[in-house]
Amino acid sequence: MIDFGYGLTPSATLKIEKVDNPLFAELHRLEPDVTKCIACGSCTASCSAGVFTEMSLRRVILSLQRGREKETLPMLQHCMLCGKCQLVCPRGINTRHLILSIGKVYKMEDKAL
Amino acid sequence: MSQNIVVIGGGPAGIEASRRLRDLGYTPILIEKEPVLGGHLARWDRLFPDGVEARKVLEPMLADLDGIKYFTDTEVSSINRLKDTWVVKLSNGLSAQVRAVLLTTGFDLFKAEKKEEYGYGIYERVITNADLEDWFKSGAAPQFDDVKVIGFVHCVGSRDEKAGNRQCSKVCCVTAVKQACEIKERFPEATVYCFYMDLRMFGRKYEDLYLKAQKECGIRFVRGRVSEVSEDIDGHLFVKAEDTLFGKPLKIKMDMLVLMAGMAPAASTAELARMVNVLPGEDGFFLPHSLIDSPCTCAREGIFYAGTATGPKTIPETLSEAASAALAIDRYLKSPQK
Amino acid sequence: MMKERILAAYDPFVLPFVFGMTFVLAYCLVALVKVLIQLKPADRQKFFLSLITPATIVKNIRDLFCDCLFHVKLWKRNKVLGYMHSSIAFGWFMIILLGHVETVLYIPERLHKLYYPIFFRYFMEVKGETLQGSFFFFLMDFFLLVILSGITIAIIKRFRSRIVGMRRTTKLTLTDRIGLYSLWAIFPLRWIAEGFTAGVAGGSFMTIPINWLLHNFMSKPENFTAAWWAYSIALGTFMTVLPFTRYMHIPAEILLIPMRNAGLPVRHTRKGFALAMLYSCPSCGVCIDACPMGVQKKNVQDATVYMVRNLKRRNPKRSLEIAEKCLMCGKCAALCQVQMDACGLRLAYRTSHEKEHNRIPADFGYLEAVDPLPQLGEQKVLYYAGCMSSLTPVISRSVQQVLKAAGVDYELMDKDGSICCGRPLMLSGRQEEARKLIEKNRQLIEESGARILLVSCAICYRIFKEQYDLIGVEVMHYTEYFNRLIKEGRLHVRNGHQTLVYHDPCDLGRGCGIYDAPRQALRAVGQLVPAAKEREESICCGGSVGSLTLRYEDREPITRGALDNLTANNPEQIVTACPLCLKTFSRFAPVPVADFAEVLAQNLEQA
Repeated sequence: MIDFGYGLTPSATLKIEKVDNPLFAELHRLEPDVTKCIACGSCTASCSAGVFTEMSLRRVILSLQRGREKETLPMLQHCMLCGKCQLVCPRGINTRHLILSIGKVYKMEDKAL
Repeated sequence: MSQNIVVIGGGPAGIEASRRLRDLGYTPILIEKEPVLGGHLARWDRLFPDGVEARKVLEPMLADLDGIKYFTDTEVSSINRLKDTWVVKLSNGLSAQVRAVLLTTGFDLFKAEKKEEYGYGIYERVITNADLEDWFKSGAAPQFDDVKVIGFVHCVGSRDEKAGNRQCSKVCCVTAVKQACEIKERFPEATVYCFYMDLRMFGRKYEDLYLKAQKECGIRFVRGRVSEVSEDIDGHLFVKAEDTLFGKPLKIKMDMLVLMAGMAPAASTAELARMVNVLPGEDGFFLPHSLIDSPCTCAREGIFYAGTATGPKTIPETLSEAASAALAIDRYLKSPQK
Repeated sequence: MMKERILAAYDPFVLPFVFGMTFVLAYCLVALVKVLIQLKPADRQKFFLSLITPATIVKNIRDLFCDCLFHVKLWKRNKVLGYMHSSIAFGWFMIILLGHVETVLYIPERLHKLYYPIFFRYFMEVKGETLQGSFFFFLMDFFLLVILSGITIAIIKRFRSRIVGMRRTTKLTLTDRIGLYSLWAIFPLRWIAEGFTAGVAGGSFMTIPINWLLHNFMSKPENFTAAWWAYSIALGTFMTVLPFTRYMHIPAEILLIPMRNAGLPVRHTRKGFALAMLYSCPSCGVCIDACPMGVQKKNVQDATVYMVRNLKRRNPKRSLEIAEKCLMCGKCAALCQVQMDACGLRLAYRTSHEKEHNRIPADFGYLEAVDPLPQLGEQKVLYYAGCMSSLTPVISRSVQQVLKAAGVDYELMDKDGSICCGRPLMLSGRQEEARKLIEKNRQLIEESGARILLVSCAICYRIFKEQYDLIGVEVMHYTEYFNRLIKEGRLHVRNGHQTLVYHDPCDLGRGCGIYDAPRQALRAVGQLVPAAKEREESICCGGSVGSLTLRYEDREPITRGALDNLTANNPEQIVTACPLCLKTFSRFAPVPVADFAEVLAQNLEQA
């Protein structure tokens, strides 16, 4: 098909119908509570690393669910694993284990290293 | 002589159900552990969505108690099954043998000090929704002068597994919007923020109230839960949250913070459940026979529920449930005995 | 007078023993070499050096006697178990020793035969009694009796562990069972064997009656050998299976003690020092009852003894599960009879797992841009509240109230967010990453010119003490510092006469050995009542950042268990000295939970 250039660029739209997400399924197996997140942002608000960087666990979780992990994985590099997010999370998610598990399941793009 | 029915809990549900039962020809025995009838409604100043004064709802009810035996400052000591009746012993030494017992024990306001990170009981400028109603009702001068920035924190002790309350308390969202508008009237110059996780404007006219709050009162809504509160040397507050729609954390200085304490199961629920030998739900509220078509009946014969004893409800919901409970009891008592 | 009865000084029945003994000695030698080779060169050097350092020599000898032979630690904990172990260990040791002494005294030329002192009675006969001879007969029988009494308790313990005060005991493996039954058999068989020969070779109050009892059958020399064969087979079986059973702890501990006293760290999960440690686990199961997770039956399999077992068997799946689940409270290690570094082993496992599997490398470059702290004067105290404390405002507020009341000039280190102390990162197995945080914090603190670093979080305090090496800065936990202020008369408090129970936070108590300072200070403001178990045996609150995988709902039973322990003597208030314990306990406590500083702040004497 000829691209007339009127379509939305691929990065601008979210192709949720195309999100085939075996990685997220594996993460869910390691830390089932990941789906308990209600995106309240408490973790981000109290994040120790968030004072200095863009770190937002809420955004990380959402991006993983949407298959757009590339955009947020670098944030996790700043995590000090201090556990404040675990303490404030109203859902009782084991956020430290979630972060450690993400590191096992997902791989950072080499260029970002 | 008409048949006695014991109603435990003298809040809106208990009073309304007692009145209905009386109208149906029974003699309700209403028991209230506090010195006055009315429950949480007696403490509230105005009601959403229209700002009707709570006393205008409660006073007519209290003026219409003829034919109802009520005891304040009284608790239930024991409830025992005797053949097809329940024997209810009271702390004042009286006891009643009845065929039907209605539990209208209501809820407890979540103890906001349990969320230490908000500093209730530690920081002077952190208050709860109930404290605010107290103040509105007293008509007193404001506690703090120079109030320029005010925040409302939704879901304090609601949807919170750490607080032991996973459920949504249903009424806090609209209460917060109502109170935000009211406080804006008191402090017209102040900026008022509502920090919410999800806004649940489910009732008739609630959405209108929410629109009014934004359009007329200029209340600013931020989708993000407050995660911690600190204090500076003058007692002003620093509130941390994430604006999750914008995707950035924020820290804002405030002069007053109102915590929307939610509905927790009443402390008496577990004890009464043990007495009548039923298991409360996982959330700690009484579990009716069916949440769909028999919200007032219990697995145990002769025990009925109404109001927030079975979970968070608004005042109109409570009142109509009290009426249906009265009908359910009437039908039970008129049905042929086994 | 003793005389050699069997002139050949040999009988085929000794073969099972000789085989077993040779095998076990060879195995231990190989294992020893393996452990030594696996040590890092620097550690090896440190170890050898410690072996010739007089102070360590004395400590080694003392520990060898106290731990291996007399089981002093176990005596303190449980007298019955203490007696059981020391009677077998010390009794056996004495029997071997006395066998050798007799051989040296009477037939020194046979000493080179491995089996001779063991089967001394078989090869000898008695010709006329001497005082010296009867003395040995008596001693040998006496120690045999001691051992037999120990074995009896052991048998009872195996079937009814509650009688000896153990709630749970380890599940034995098949080889463990073979070892166990052969061990039980050895001494009764020796008793019978020596009973057989007591008529000719002499005996005392244990063996002579056996001889008399079955005189007709016994007195025939051709019946001797069957009993001695049985004795030798039991010994041989025990020795042969020993390396593959928990009884490996007997020889391994002899190596472990000097290695531990040399101060070697655990660097690997099953190499070097760690291997010596794995060998040294006696599978006694003290760690099972010690573990706070044991309140849930499903967690029993996660006790240290099973960690050791899975490491030995190279079961990576279970080893990882156990390593990651642990609260790292250190209670099992504190009670462990061989002082197993249970947390160290788990940490080593986490570290190697992280190194291998984490694919999102840390980047703490942003720390470089962190502003330096304001310069502090000589007298200034730098107060680091820590990450957790910002969620428990009552702590920092009370600490500041107390500091003001005592007239202490202080500065807050983490008003606007803090760099984490690094301990949670370290506990997650990210050692090198943690070092970056440590370095930055160290630099900030040292450059501020602070003299005292005041810490109100037990987790932070431990890593500041253990890993920071702050030069010219005294790291003090607020319990120590406030107690000092009270003692120096700078802080005036009144006694509110409330009954208080103090909870020892894991990292403060077992981690840093601070038990008395908080208690002394609390006695000044209230009436301290003991918990059912406290100090080294305090029970983790369940909130620990040490556990990586334990879910929120599985922590609640631990918390409730710890609370039951604390409220055993009906205190009016629970006092803790760690923000995490405070937050965790507050959720479920039946009585108010207060922070240490909060209690002090409530009882300040107005000057």
